[in-house]
Amino acid sequence: MDLTPRHEIEEPEEVRRTIHRRRRWIILVIAVLLIAALAFVTAQGLRNATLFFRNVDEAIEQRTELGTSRFRIQGRVIPSSVQGESGVTTFQIVHECAVAAIRHTGDPPELFESPWIPVVLEGRWVQGKSQTAAGADSHYFRSDRMLVKHTNEYASANEVRVNEEPPAGFLDDCSFEVPVDHS
Amino acid sequence: MPERTDDSKMTATPLTRVLGILGIAASVVMAVLGLFISPPDVVQGEAVRMLYLHVPSIWIAYGSFVLTSISSLLFLARSKRREDSGRHYDRLAGSAAEVGVVFTGLTLITGMLWGKVTWGTYWQWDARLTTTVLLFVTYLGYLALRRLPADPVVRGRRAAVMALISFINVPIVHYSVDWWRTLHQKASLSVGRRPEITGEMYWTLLYSALTVTIVGAWLIIHRYRVIRLEEIRDEENLKMLISSRHQEKPTDSTAAGEVS
Repeated sequence: MDLTPRHEIEEPEEVRRTIHRRRRWIILVIAVLLIAALAFVTAQGLRNATLFFRNVDEAIEQRTELGTSRFRIQGRVIPSSVQGESGVTTFQIVHECAVAAIRHTGDPPELFESPWIPVVLEGRWVQGKSQTAAGADSHYFRSDRMLVKHTNEYASANEVRVNEEPPAGFLDDCSFEVPVDHS
Repeated sequence: MPERTDDSKMTATPLTRVLGILGIAASVVMAVLGLFISPPDVVQGEAVRMLYLHVPSIWIAYGSFVLTSISSLLFLARSKRREDSGRHYDRLAGSAAEVGVVFTGLTLITGMLWGKVTWGTYWQWDARLTTTVLLFVTYLGYLALRRLPADPVVRGRRAAVMALISFINVPIVHYSVDWWRTLHQKASLSVGRRPEITGEMYWTLLYSALTVTIVGAWLIIHRYRVIRLEEIRDEENLKMLISSRHQEKPTDSTAAGEVS
């Protein structure tokens, strides 16, 4: 039932059509924007989400097939290995007793300074001799993007002292030892 | 002439006023606890304070979407049988979804700020972040669907189906950190697992969750009543239009009589 007062609108049918047309366009634009947003998000998600990074041991194992392709590697930073000069930071990361030498260009995030912090680095394997805590290696990882992957462990800074001891049990099964600064 | 103070025309009741005052007071205490009393984290330092808003926000968003889904189910079940079409369930679903979207947005914003300080980036397309933004977009779509012009019951049914489809993503968001490798850390608190948060930080987090729940409940109640008021307004407008049309008839017939 049309209840629009007749005397207020001179051409009700035409006005109604215009309103409907406009409304249809608005709905269509919203629908297209939503579908586009969903498609974009899903595409991004599928591409990156399922394998966001490779752990050090996997990256070393898959070194041949990875070749010079770009990927992300994850491991904990060995605090005693960190050295930096003129925008380049070199250090070693470890996961499941596998160690990789890293040569990172750029400023590391603030939390990088925390001992044994897990990091995700973006870059590629480069052929070149390197020395790690686990021994000599024929490759090192050149990265230009570093993300700090903090854990879900929270402890009061007033109660827990920062030290360079590795997390409990982290290196127990490893055949090598890492020098620790007790100062 | 004094304004009408009929309770059905207001968005507040004595109970919601008390809830609102409680929400404000609890928020002030939450800010004091989160910003000054709870200690900095041994690794993250002061940045950890974002935890007290970020984590409860997503919990309340989950809770709101659960409420939306249950209400949508009840609406679908009762919309055909009841005289009032079970529209209060539809209203509850809509108001809870709005609050859920607000808190998901808050989670995304606080997460981005926290991420910049800790990870070193505002955004990464990892599984947790991707599914969370997907959750935000799908529920925005749900709210857009509720705004489309249609018969209220038909629109309610369409929205209810959309709400149930959208809910599939909630457990995916929550478990994404366990199912896939993500930059995002694992859940801060989980049922059946020892919390990895110590002392004052743990209690501040639980207190913040309680505070955000009060604020969320208050918002849902008010949105529910605003939606009901909008319906009353529409119903009154309709009545007014019908009566104005009825009043037109005698004028027309008089006019016709004059011509003849």
